[in-house]
Amino acid sequence: MTQPSQPQPRDAQSIRTGSDLVPAARRAGENVVAAVRGEIDLHNSPELRNVLLNTLLGDANALPNRLVLNLEQVPYMDSSAIAVLVESLRKVQRGGGKIYLTNLQPRVKGLLEIARLNAIFVIVASEEEALKK
Amino acid sequence: MAAQKPAARHYPLSSILCLCLIQTAMSHVQSDLSQRNPATAPPPAVRLNITSDPANLATVRRAVGDLAAAHGFDATACGEIALCVNEALANVTRHAYGGATDRPIEFAADVDERDAELRVHIRDWGNGVNPDALPPRKRDPMTPGGLGLVCLRKMMDDVRFTPQPDGMLLEMRRRKRRPSMWLFDLIRNWKR
Repeated sequence: MTQPSQPQPRDAQSIRTGSDLVPAARRAGENVVAAVRGEIDLHNSPELRNVLLNTLLGDANALPNRLVLNLEQVPYMDSSAIAVLVESLRKVQRGGGKIYLTNLQPRVKGLLEIARLNAIFVIVASEEEALKK
Repeated sequence: MAAQKPAARHYPLSSILCLCLIQTAMSHVQSDLSQRNPATAPPPAVRLNITSDPANLATVRRAVGDLAAAHGFDATACGEIALCVNEALANVTRHAYGGATDRPIEFAADVDERDAELRVHIRDWGNGVNPDALPPRKRDPMTPGGLGLVCLRKMMDDVRFTPQPDGMLLEMRRRKRRPSMWLFDLIRNWKR
């Protein structure tokens, strides 16, 4: 079954991640947009780390202004996934950028609040809102 | 001679509040017990002997979440209990076993006879370092290490590490109705 495709800007380039955890990613100008899918725990957070830090943020000279992560299909994540997000944020911040988290599920939102990261990441309702801001 | 009318007795507000709390608590116990039918009673416990491989995390957290749900814990409680079990087991792998994925973990969870609290027991044979004995460290959101323990202390009602001669025993308890919920129920019943 094919996934419904998101409307993309004309200059969007899709990025091949090779990971079921991040099935869709694209570069749109100076921004990178990626959808994450599945429960993330210590078992698969190294895979998320590899995709974010090496595939999407691997080129230190081309760090995005915005890394937009759509977490609509992430019903659960643990502290190891939070650690990956923080490590990615540090890297994006080196280039002066930000990470936007969109479409958060309640449990993920709750964990970010406990970790006091809800004010450090930019949390918005949708990808469109993240790209508009 | 007409009988003298007894003087009206005045009870302090604190006594009335106490009685209300007791009554609310008893109504919870009675309703919980009355809903239990031995023929359809939920499973009393989960017992698993697993290795420290993180591949086991999803299975165990789902099993304990299902156990809590079967005993009437609400969705928030089920999610929080599952997260705490996940974090505790991940800490065993990462810290007690230094990342080794083939070491034994004994896991058990059950609900007490009054159906009022869920209890978790996690035994490992690792380095025996007691997290309670470690010096407290300043919480920095950008340094997320230790978040698992923060979750345990915030989401469970009791967290107890007991060092063993050859490892560690972690016991956790989570009440079905936490104090804040009791207060909420009290106000809700009072309005009826």
